[in-house]
Amino acid sequence: MTKPFLSIRDLRKAFGGFVAVHDVTIDIPKGEFLTFLGPSGSGKSTTLYAIAGFQQPTSGDVLLEGRSLLSVPSHKRNIGMVFQRYTLFQHLTVAENVAFPLRVRRRPDAEVNRKVAEMLSLVRLESFGGRYPGALSGGQQQRVALARALAYDPPILLMDEPLSALDKKLREEIQAEIRRIHRETGVTILYVTHDQDEALHLSDRIALFRDGRIEQIGTGEDLYLRPASEFVASFIGNSNFLPAEHLETVNGSATIRLADGSVVSGVRNDREFSQGQKTRLMVRPEAFRLRPGAATAGLAVEFIDTAFFGERRRVIARTAAGQEIDVRPTSDMAQAQEGIAPRGQQIFFDPAAAFLFPA
Amino acid sequence: MSGNLLHRPSILRRPDGIGGALPALTLIALFFVVPVLALLLRSVTEPVPGLHNYATLFGDGTYARVFFNTFLVATVVTAVTVVVAFPVAWMLAIMPPALGSIVFGIIILSMWTNLLTRTYAWMVLLQRTGVINRTLMDIGLISEPLPLINNLTGVTIGMVYIMLPFMILPLVGTLRAIDPMTLRAAALCGASPFDAFRRILLPLSLPGIAAGGLMVFVMSLGYFVTPTLLGGISNMMLAAMIAQMIQSLLNWGLGSAAAFILLLVTMALYALQLRLVGARRMTGGI
Repeated sequence: MTKPFLSIRDLRKAFGGFVAVHDVTIDIPKGEFLTFLGPSGSGKSTTLYAIAGFQQPTSGDVLLEGRSLLSVPSHKRNIGMVFQRYTLFQHLTVAENVAFPLRVRRRPDAEVNRKVAEMLSLVRLESFGGRYPGALSGGQQQRVALARALAYDPPILLMDEPLSALDKKLREEIQAEIRRIHRETGVTILYVTHDQDEALHLSDRIALFRDGRIEQIGTGEDLYLRPASEFVASFIGNSNFLPAEHLETVNGSATIRLADGSVVSGVRNDREFSQGQKTRLMVRPEAFRLRPGAATAGLAVEFIDTAFFGERRRVIARTAAGQEIDVRPTSDMAQAQEGIAPRGQQIFFDPAAAFLFPA
Repeated sequence: MSGNLLHRPSILRRPDGIGGALPALTLIALFFVVPVLALLLRSVTEPVPGLHNYATLFGDGTYARVFFNTFLVATVVTAVTVVVAFPVAWMLAIMPPALGSIVFGIIILSMWTNLLTRTYAWMVLLQRTGVINRTLMDIGLISEPLPLINNLTGVTIGMVYIMLPFMILPLVGTLRAIDPMTLRAAALCGASPFDAFRRILLPLSLPGIAAGGLMVFVMSLGYFVTPTLLGGISNMMLAAMIAQMIQSLLNWGLGSAAAFILLLVTMALYALQLRLVGARRMTGGI
């Protein structure tokens, strides 16, 4: 087996009695864009800081190409990092900021100048070299920070919620820049965010953190389409959870009874549930249809509110058991023809696109 | 943010502010500007009109020595104060606020304690048979008492101690405004702790060093009590000389000329600093 490029082994970080990171293990291949996603306090930043060398882990190891980084001080790790807050050196110009890592490495002037020009063009700020950070917008400052972090060709780039201080439009713009830069440089990126859209948009793989542990690691599709737990299902995308009684599972296909008494079979399930066990059925809002298609299960509901959002229609519906559910069928031409009846409607879903979780 | 909003109206109404400042401005005009002009006048008219008082001050070796002593002490005191104050200010800047305010309180308290008391305390500590010399002799580090008093060493020690708060306070303000993350960024960029200090922390803290340094230097130039008590007669400084000229020798012309030179130097230094650091950064951007 080939050695992983960056390897986090049983990493644990405790602050007194509080364990912020529980024995996290991840292998990261060269060139991957891996995102640590999770709510605040889930241990994602602490893990990143251990890689950066800002925090010494309680136990475990961080290996880069097989060599432990833990005994290497931050300034010798040769890792690039972009921070949540603006950390440009305010007394230096943009060009001097980008040159800084090369200057402390005592690189010759010619190389420094060439590299600074190359980096400023990478982040499309060629004409800003002479400006001071104070004269730049937040988005421009983070792009300079990106140029500074990449100037010395670090094998790994760490990004700690770099876009959280920016407004939505600017965030999307810089996300596209980050994707392009990742594509062009091939640098391995570890990215921390609490924003699921950002994680889905940017990453090759996502490690979803919860209470200091990795709940699931995989591609965005894995997490969205095959969530390992109810937490993953509710954190990535929107979900409805319907109370359901498990009847039987045969060959990964479960039969359940919903609260209104209707029996649904063909639900994908790889967990062990006993007969009659209380479970929760997760259905994505967009998995609902207003018309039955092939192999769809029906659910009797009452429509409370409907709205049209262009690509999607949004319906708030109430089940017979009184539970409100979020329904977002696509509003393409075929679906638009259906029209919407105000009362006594049925909505439909594909059982194979639903998941069963313990109650 | 809300503070900004609250302040905005007063900025818009700024021209009206002169009315409220009138009493203070009148006081300054009456008791500073007028006397300074009178001083200038006396320095060029007594005992006879002309610039002979200035010629005497610059020409006479004794006076030149006093000027030299004064600038030497002020320079050394400022330099030592910066070096001693910086770590304290940095510690205060990164300390948890609750603990920081206690240490801050202690520093302020020392400032409020009577100056004479503190200077006499240093006389007791520094004299030949004082605590410092005796301790050093008892542990065998020295065999003869060190000459710590009645010389410039004593003056420097005493003055650095007095001046420390004036250096620490502006410096803490500047250092607090520096995000510690900036230093982490510098470290990951490959800067050793020394590089990060020299290339990032020190340049960023220059406005605070300049503000505190100017304060300490100017105060040191005109300081009277501490140099007189700890320096002895042979190491007279400018303030003591002016006092002697006017009180003992009743030579108002020469004393005025010396005082005016001191004022000019102070103003020149302030102007230089405004140019180098910029008025906005000096006053904290107010």
